[in-house]
Amino acid sequence: MITCTDVVRNFATRPGAVAGLAGLSLDVAPGEFVVIQGPSGSGKSTLLLTLGGMLRPTSGRVTVAGQDLHSLTTSARTRFRATTLGFVFQLFHLVPYLTVRQNILAGLPRPDASGRARVAGLINELGLEERAGSLPGTLSAGERQRVALARALAKQPPLILADEPTGNLDPANAAGVFRRLDTYRRAGGTVLVVTHGPDAAPFASRVLRLEAGRITDVRSTAQVAL
Amino acid sequence: MSLVHLIFRELRHHRANALLSALALTIAVALIVAVRLLTNAAERETRRVVRDLGFNLRILPRDVDPGEFWIRGHSDKTLPADAVQRLATGAGTFVSFNHLTPTLEGRIPLGGLEAILTGLGPSITGPGEKKQPMGFNIAVGKAYLGQTLANRLEAKTGKTLEVKGRPLTIERVLVESGSDDDMRLFTSLADAQAILGLPGRISEIKAIDCLCLTSEQDPLGQLRKELQRLLPEAQVLQMRTMADARARQRQSAEKYAAFAVPLVLWVSAGWVGVLAALNVRERRPELGLWRALGTGSLRIAGLFLGRAMLLGLVGAGVGYMAGTTVALHYGPEIFPVTARGLVAEPALLGWALLLTPAFAAIASFLPAMTAVVRDPAETLRAD
Ligand SMILES: Nc1ncnc2c1ncn2[C@@H]1O[C@H](COP(=O)(O)OP(=O)(O)O)[C@@H](O)[C@H]1O
Ligand SMILES: [Mg+2]
Repeated sequence: MITCTDVVRNFATRPGAVAGLAGLSLDVAPGEFVVIQGPSGSGKSTLLLTLGGMLRPTSGRVTVAGQDLHSLTTSARTRFRATTLGFVFQLFHLVPYLTVRQNILAGLPRPDASGRARVAGLINELGLEERAGSLPGTLSAGERQRVALARALAKQPPLILADEPTGNLDPANAAGVFRRLDTYRRAGGTVLVVTHGPDAAPFASRVLRLEAGRITDVRSTAQVAL
Repeated sequence: MSLVHLIFRELRHHRANALLSALALTIAVALIVAVRLLTNAAERETRRVVRDLGFNLRILPRDVDPGEFWIRGHSDKTLPADAVQRLATGAGTFVSFNHLTPTLEGRIPLGGLEAILTGLGPSITGPGEKKQPMGFNIAVGKAYLGQTLANRLEAKTGKTLEVKGRPLTIERVLVESGSDDDMRLFTSLADAQAILGLPGRISEIKAIDCLCLTSEQDPLGQLRKELQRLLPEAQVLQMRTMADARARQRQSAEKYAAFAVPLVLWVSAGWVGVLAALNVRERRPELGLWRALGTGSLRIAGLFLGRAMLLGLVGAGVGYMAGTTVALHYGPEIFPVTARGLVAEPALLGWALLLTPAFAAIASFLPAMTAVVRDPAETLRAD
């Protein structure tokens, strides 16, 4: 589902170039739930944005769902994101002037009847019925992240990328998010979560470590669980 | 969700920004509509007042001595009648001169009195100039009588007057004018030429100038230069007083408009642009999100430019009404003579609805484009 080969991403800063990714290689198979752990500044967000086709690597190849992302035209990459990727962010990124329902619908590339039905189902499933007509400003953090999760799930993408999705949530809400992502994986989806905390590990099929822009350590679920 | 629906929701959410933007556009439209209505009103008023003033230029044969002319009130020198055609066909004529009216004047004995006979030919006006009834248009065989003259002769409308063997029907007895017009017999140019025995001649061309120059700009000097070029055998005298005041008034109004309109447009464009930039800035996380969701650049541009255009439509509608209200409220006081000519111009609404959205879109273009091309990664990274 994901193949990264020697991906380097440098940022030009006043003191000089800073490496966000420093020769990162990664393989994620379809149906995996991969958690990448790393401290702040290790390149987690840079990796996710590169995989989402929103940051161009300085060098290296990035293939997602069979597409060499950065050889696509801008509009093809935009279409690719619309159809293939679901994003979940730490800060939720809900549109402040749209209701819960409208925010979730915004995740559909084409809001057809089956899409709408799915959205209604997700609203029920995630316990958002009462809040469906509310603006995000009136929701709790847990509710907001459930809305963002529903938005990512609505289009049934083959891959969901999550950047510290539980960074602003209490443990109960955090576990709820990961449980739902696990359900999605069981239904055939692939999940990549980057996080600096350990709370995603119990749901992972594989946990990787990211340090200074590189994968440094590969542990299996079994080892983590023990 | 449709783009327009999205824009409406956003406008409602960011009310303050939307209201301030719409206000800037409304003020600009209102000012332009009001200036436009009032400028037209000023133009109408000037024309009308000038018309009421009568001719202020007298184009006389070059060899008329002005001193003698003023003392006697007329002269015996004449120009060929085709001088008026030659003047009319000269390039630039109607910038300097208008309502060219060939005139032949002379003293005649009439019923034991001395009267002034004035023959008036048809006026020639500039192209594009509305033919306004100015002076008299008298048919051959007809006459208008000054009040004093009519009283002395005991003449009445409809009666026939014989002048040097020519019968003239009195078509009108003029109201008292308090000038030498009261002792005047007005006829057609052809009748006057026959009576005075001066076929094919005129004694002067009466005209009005453009009233666009004030005395500091030496209008007479410019008129003389023009006339020297077009009709070298003539000279021009200008009756200055009222025209000067009018020209001054009109020029100052135009100067204010010429200064105020572009200023307001620039200020309004800057204002709208800054508000658009603030809006884009505030919505950077949202922009990043649309990117992440795979929303195309066209739709994102539409989100911001469409917003500007929608505000433009609001500004156009409200501004048109406000500008019209202001003009209709204050206009009649400023231009009492033509007050009734001052009415709303719905065509201006059409133009406003067309141009204001375009103006708002242009003013918001740069901020909107930065929204489209901006690297979305920044706002999504947030640790
Ligand atoms: N736009 C940028 N300009 C300069 N440096 C950047 C930029 N984005 C990221 N970096 C740097 O790249 C490194 C990785 O950042 P990031 O991927 O955000 O880390 P993480 O998400 O793991 O905290 C950090 O050192 C960060 O300072
Ligand atoms: Mg990060």
